[in-house]
Amino acid sequence: MSTSSFSNETIESSSLPKAREQRFLPLSPAYVKVNLLCRLLLWLVILVALVVVYWQPWFELPSPMQKAIPSLLIAIASLGLLLSVYGVIGDKIKGYALREHDLSYKSGVIFKSIISQPILRIQHVELKHGPIDRHFGLASLEVFSAGGAMHTFAIPGLPEEKARELRQYILEHSDIAANE
Amino acid sequence: MNNKQTSSIDTATEEYRDKWLKLSPVAIIYFAIQFIKNTASNFVYLIPAFVIGYQKLADNIVSIIVGVAGVLAFIAISALVKFYFYQYRITGQRAQIHSGVFQKKHIDLPFERIQNIRFEQPIYYRLTDHVCMLLDTAGSSKAEAKIIALPKPVAEALKQEILLFKDHKTNTEDHPDPEQKQEERETVLNTRSVRDLVIHGLASNRIWIVLGALAPFFNSISEQVIEGIESFGVDLEALMSSTQYAMWQYILVIASATFIIVAFLALISVIGSVITFYDFRLTRSGDRYIRRNGLFTRHEVAMRLRRLQMIVYQQNWLDRLLQRVNLKFEQLNSSVERHNASTASGKIMVPSVTLSEAGELAGNAWPEHQMGSIKFHPISKRLMVRNALVSFWLLVGSALVISYFGHYQLSAALVALFLASLPLISLRWKRWGYASDDQFIYIRKGLIGVNYRCFPIHKVQQTSFYQSWFMRRFKLCSVGFVLACGGQSVPFIKETTGDALIDETLHQVESLKKSWM
Repeated sequence: MSTSSFSNETIESSSLPKAREQRFLPLSPAYVKVNLLCRLLLWLVILVALVVVYWQPWFELPSPMQKAIPSLLIAIASLGLLLSVYGVIGDKIKGYALREHDLSYKSGVIFKSIISQPILRIQHVELKHGPIDRHFGLASLEVFSAGGAMHTFAIPGLPEEKARELRQYILEHSDIAANE
Repeated sequence: MNNKQTSSIDTATEEYRDKWLKLSPVAIIYFAIQFIKNTASNFVYLIPAFVIGYQKLADNIVSIIVGVAGVLAFIAISALVKFYFYQYRITGQRAQIHSGVFQKKHIDLPFERIQNIRFEQPIYYRLTDHVCMLLDTAGSSKAEAKIIALPKPVAEALKQEILLFKDHKTNTEDHPDPEQKQEERETVLNTRSVRDLVIHGLASNRIWIVLGALAPFFNSISEQVIEGIESFGVDLEALMSSTQYAMWQYILVIASATFIIVAFLALISVIGSVITFYDFRLTRSGDRYIRRNGLFTRHEVAMRLRRLQMIVYQQNWLDRLLQRVNLKFEQLNSSVERHNASTASGKIMVPSVTLSEAGELAGNAWPEHQMGSIKFHPISKRLMVRNALVSFWLLVGSALVISYFGHYQLSAALVALFLASLPLISLRWKRWGYASDDQFIYIRKGLIGVNYRCFPIHKVQQTSFYQSWFMRRFKLCSVGFVLACGGQSVPFIKETTGDALIDETLHQVESLKKSWM
């Protein structure tokens, strides 16, 4: 890297670019829908399993259980609905931002978090798409730094095209080249 | 590579290059012992069963002898087979290892991906002067290679060769050959006497670890002990209920018994400390720190100064009384398993140094740091409030529920637990502190003991900002910094301070563009 054009004057911290005041872009709308569908499906499966246990003819359930199941069904259904709504709100809040030198990812309704990953520190990039993601043209971008697998920086639910673009941007970034 | 420089090394390793080699036969012992160790660690919880079933087993001694002989034969055969299938090859630029009997494992490690070279010398390698050579990589732990038995001079020569190769790759222009000159001036930075190690053994938490590990067996152990005493013809119950001894005598007996047990455990801990850290030497040659220690198995770990990610001063309550600290130089921490075993890992720990020695060592590594003198800022008292609230709802809440069902003693115990948690919560808050200067961020944390951490801002890998709904109301936040040695966090600081820390960190990382290793 060349040091000739580099300056390092003292900067008042108020004039530094602010990580929290970036414009975060939302994830793909399809991601929110797919996630909602998956969640509803999961709760439905649980409910159906309970109903099957309740109605099946093969063995007699103990009577306290027999009595508890209807109210349990209602409780699970309402919990599932609430969690699904919460999930939708959470998914809509998720967003990512790209600056010249770093990537950021924002999430959380009650517990907000913003994670920022300098591109300079990126060791490798992965695109991940499971079967469901593939069907809806979605992909998630996973970025690995030396911080280890626990601290993988991931942006889920990107349109596949966008995810590829982002990966390309990172791979061709001058900071990565300087790192080599 | 320049031929003149490496000619001496070439002759030492010549017969070890470019062909597939078998290990020295000493490695058979290594495989056997490794096998026993692995099996033992998997079946350690069966030991009480064996103890209990001992009586039955003792009846058919012949079958036991046959069984033991069978197991020994199996171990010997498996070690031989493993030895037979283990091959390695070292070419000009890479180390290759083929191992495994049923599940074949092929490792092909280019020299430039090797981050760290460590030596281990188990006691049975001393006679023939062999070592284990461990090649660490930055990535996953799977890619870690271990050449199980090499004669020590060859291992040293190979190490030089690999390091030289890497140096030529990275800085060809400024230092043509810094390694060999520096190798001669190895200065000793710190040694630990047996006295220091005894202090370390006393102060370290090993006693409590041993106690914790024994906890599941307390019941059966105490039964065994009582049975043992009774078998000597002592009737404990009669002794307890008789009136011929005064209360203070019982108390004295119990107190001295406790003392003996604690002293015994302390002794174990001291022995453990001496075994692991015997003849501890921390030396520095050029930018390389080398730690050598161990009574039976000698460990040698080298770390380059630029790999150093964080310096930690660790003090538990006993260390505080004794005015000692455990100093840790943390480098990469690529796998979780290695995190646990402090001596086996690549991190360098200097046990139980005095504060001034710790300052000297840390200053030797990072002259600009101010860990000893910097003033830590406290974090918000809201952390105390939050934790007290959490503790209140969990403990007092469940106490209320339980008392509704009529278990008053249990709910009283829960309330007492809540009251007991309050001083701990406030102590925890009091220990938290943070500070930063132009180059470093400092974090202080702990409960009864204290931990001081210091890392250079430009080595940060990733930053995070957290804010719950509760914190947002009071304009507070938590920040996290991920380093190559793991994540660090500072909870409950002012939102503006958190923003400034993160913005400053990102700015330094991205504008300085310094390497983290």
